[in-house]
Amino acid sequence: MSGIYKVTRRDFLRAAGVGTGALVFGSYLTPSLQAQGLIHNLINGFPVEDVPVVILKVNGDVIIITHRSEMGQGIRSSLAAVLADEMEADWNRVTLKQADADGGRYAVTFPAEVTTEYKLPFPYEEISKTRKPKLQYLVPPDGSQFTDSSRSMTAYFSVMRLYGAGIKLAMIRAAAKKWGVKPKECRAEKHRVYGPNGKSTDYRWLLLGAKKEKPSYEDISNALKTREEWRYIGKGKEPMPFYDAVDMVRGKTEFGADVDVPGMLTAMIERCPVANGALLTYDPAPALAVEGVRYVVPIFPPGVRGGGVGRAFTPHAGVAVVAANTWAALQGRRALKPTITWDLGPHATYDSAAYRKELEGSTAEPGKVVRRLKDVDDAFAQAAAGTMEAIYYVPHLAQAPMEPPVAVALFQNGRMEVWAPTQNPDGAQQVAGQVALGFSDDQMADETFRDKARAAATVHVTMLGGGFGRKSKPDYIGEAAILAKHNPGVPIRVQWTREDDIKFSYYNAASSQHLKASLGADKLPTALLQRSAVTSFFGTLVPNYSTPGLTDPQLEAYAKARLALFGGGEYPYASGIERAQGLEDMPYDVPNIRLENCRAENHIRVGWMRSVANIYHAFAINSFAGELAIAAGRDPKDYLLDLIGKDRLLDEKTMTSQSVERFRNNELPLEGIDVPVIEGGKVNQVVAGYPPDTSRLRAVINQVAEESGWKDKAAQYKNMKGRGLGIAAHRSFLSYVAVVVDVSLNDENELTIHDVYGTIHCGLAVNRDRVLAQMEGGIVYGLSYALLGEITVKNGAVVQNNFDDYPVLRIYQTPRIHVSIVDSDDPPTGVGEPPTPAVAPALANAIVAAGGPRIREIPFHRHIVVL
Amino acid sequence: MSIFQLRVNGTYHNVEIDGNMPLLWALRDVLGLKGTKFGCGVAQCGACTVHLDGRAVRSCAVDVGVACLSEITTIEGLSRDGSHPCQKAWVELGVPQCGFCQPGQIMTAAALLAAHKETNTPITDDDIDNAMRGNICRCGTYPRIRAAIKEAEKLS
Repeated sequence: MSGIYKVTRRDFLRAAGVGTGALVFGSYLTPSLQAQGLIHNLINGFPVEDVPVVILKVNGDVIIITHRSEMGQGIRSSLAAVLADEMEADWNRVTLKQADADGGRYAVTFPAEVTTEYKLPFPYEEISKTRKPKLQYLVPPDGSQFTDSSRSMTAYFSVMRLYGAGIKLAMIRAAAKKWGVKPKECRAEKHRVYGPNGKSTDYRWLLLGAKKEKPSYEDISNALKTREEWRYIGKGKEPMPFYDAVDMVRGKTEFGADVDVPGMLTAMIERCPVANGALLTYDPAPALAVEGVRYVVPIFPPGVRGGGVGRAFTPHAGVAVVAANTWAALQGRRALKPTITWDLGPHATYDSAAYRKELEGSTAEPGKVVRRLKDVDDAFAQAAAGTMEAIYYVPHLAQAPMEPPVAVALFQNGRMEVWAPTQNPDGAQQVAGQVALGFSDDQMADETFRDKARAAATVHVTMLGGGFGRKSKPDYIGEAAILAKHNPGVPIRVQWTREDDIKFSYYNAASSQHLKASLGADKLPTALLQRSAVTSFFGTLVPNYSTPGLTDPQLEAYAKARLALFGGGEYPYASGIERAQGLEDMPYDVPNIRLENCRAENHIRVGWMRSVANIYHAFAINSFAGELAIAAGRDPKDYLLDLIGKDRLLDEKTMTSQSVERFRNNELPLEGIDVPVIEGGKVNQVVAGYPPDTSRLRAVINQVAEESGWKDKAAQYKNMKGRGLGIAAHRSFLSYVAVVVDVSLNDENELTIHDVYGTIHCGLAVNRDRVLAQMEGGIVYGLSYALLGEITVKNGAVVQNNFDDYPVLRIYQTPRIHVSIVDSDDPPTGVGEPPTPAVAPALANAIVAAGGPRIREIPFHRHIVVL
Repeated sequence: MSIFQLRVNGTYHNVEIDGNMPLLWALRDVLGLKGTKFGCGVAQCGACTVHLDGRAVRSCAVDVGVACLSEITTIEGLSRDGSHPCQKAWVELGVPQCGFCQPGQIMTAAALLAAHKETNTPITDDDIDNAMRGNICRCGTYPRIRAAIKEAEKLS
């Protein structure tokens, strides 16, 4: 089999189990057409080519190819249902097929008339007034399969609608021709076209006619449904289908861990406990003595440093025990472990307690200014009611998805075939191909080598047993590929234990946040200073000046990569992405503002966990708002609304499509903190691409206050001992969430969380039930880390092991949860991550209100008793 | 290595394996029953829950040599067609998110349901807390699990 780019239509149809004669709709992305994209494909006749999105089988049944990874958001169901809705497909005749990794072939670019229509800032009002939702996107449907940043629906809602409407229109026209009537006289409903005089026919009989239709972009656009016509989308007439639910409750869903390839062996790997360590010696004999163990092999030769800081997805150094089954591999690994000696390397002194002091020291000093409005120092000096200062700390956190990392790889005929649960199919494909072809990391910095690597690997994306950012990093796929290359022709499965998952995560950054404010006569802040130090994922994902042996041109290339991939920034400072998640877009209306980013070195693999930098930024700023409200003697909800101030779009003047273009063209300066200091209270939007709208923040706060009965309860709890309410609100991934927590604290300092209320503004809630489910789950996730979450490191190695010492929330600890959605017809925005960040600060504020301590660090169980 | 006779979902299987192998790996790697999941390996998360003679147990912590003495039921054998009240309630209320822990959740809930049916006592929130506390769901579907158990009670 040649490269994946060369898979022909016939190959694909065979693989998809459909005969020839089927009708295939897809984006035909040869270079010349790529710039024009989907619509032009439809105009030029339904392409029958090698990247199908929809396949109509000869019996009229529909196969929808879903290219975003499914890890619990319900996204593959939701996107397919959007298409089916516009297409008027009968859902009972729809099957889904998960796309293999394909190096960006799902790219869809709207034609010029669409992209120019919506310049930023986005014209909300115009959209809201339009009865027929216009086509738009806030996050470009760039073809990436990388399922992160809560952007699948944001990017692909319009795309899926267009596909559906285009097919429906073609069917209607084909039927009209067949009957000799006008298309206007026909309508489609559930896989049938209905015409005048009681005529009707199934889509299956229209396939050949539809194939000849060439509807224009304008016609397809006009064929889109109105809101009232939507069957599933939004508040549709029927519940949104949930394709995978039935298989899931019967144990039939195939997760990565369930892949079984004939002749497969299972490997367990004993890894170097410290990042960038190397293997010195090992003795395979005790492991080989275990029945079922086939062989023992190191991941890298002795002396070669493994993954960690600056090495992105390179696996840790380790020794693999390859066996007939998982139990034998586990037993063999236990026997092997005492025989290994490691060179622990430069990070063996990394220690959480010392690191915390380092970060807090860093935020005690001025950092790089990232946003400035007038002069905070003057305001602090003249503060009428004094100043307040607080330091907040968040430790490393591990995602701990229920399915530990796992991957199967098979190397034969010079190619790598992989089956894996991954959020990052393209990254997985590159890593697998890199191993297949033996390319160095340096070579992989070159796009032509990356393309060769992609072409040498096939990655089948399975269902994910949770992701939360962990499965964005294909290090475990690299391990499987390395072991497969060592034993060509034999499929090798690498199974991680829970201990492996806890000890070898890509942890969320540890962070110190230093806040200072001066209060004016009205008890509102006259100045606000925030200093943020975070262990940026830069340090892990991209080599930097501290990486040995890099030349100047290499360093320059990596600096460019940082800019292109992460919105600029320079190690050991934070990336543009991290700064844009709750620091630069700080929404409070304060007359003097200075936001700074402070140094933080990286000594362990750092990645991200659900909501990423919003975790520590939202915790700090919302906790501080709560502290200020108490100092002002005000109701925390009213005070929060006053802090946010009048309704406005942050950065409405500076945010133009031009600045986005400059960013995309890598024209921003490279040195220092890269992105120029933002002056005059305006916000850097180059990463988010969408201006924060404080009216939405206000809307979620008001709605959650209403639904939680804030006003009455706040008054009532004032006279009660040990009972309190807390509130917090945060924007992330273009959505807005407010959370109210109702707690009591008894004389033994034991915490009871009675109720959590959450409200989200995510534009149009396309799949309302899954939005509510994400809100519920995101609140539980937030409570988990707020109360219990902590990864500590001693001597460079992670201390925690399993759910006994890295506990997560259980059912008996879960309060009643009440969630709601702000009604909106605006374009859909993120849902997977936004529910999480506001939970921890709302809880911290509630604990204070209940007479407990002001908790400025995670996990809270250090200060209160969590039963 | 010894030969064990395992009675799983009403079918007898003769398997030649290490008697210390946890039932979990015998089910998954030897019998190919993949609905029972590996989540922690130390009886902390409940993803591997199966029934031994109707009792919910963590199959990662039960050796094959012990399991062979009992009738074993896995998620694949809970119902022929997904018609167990828990499975129906789980779908109706849209409980699963990623779905990985749900077979274990359902097996634990099904044992709770059966126990209460036998004694003809209603299931309280405390009963749910006690029975389900060993099953972790990282997606946080707990509120819907609670509601679905109550719904399943009505259905059964």
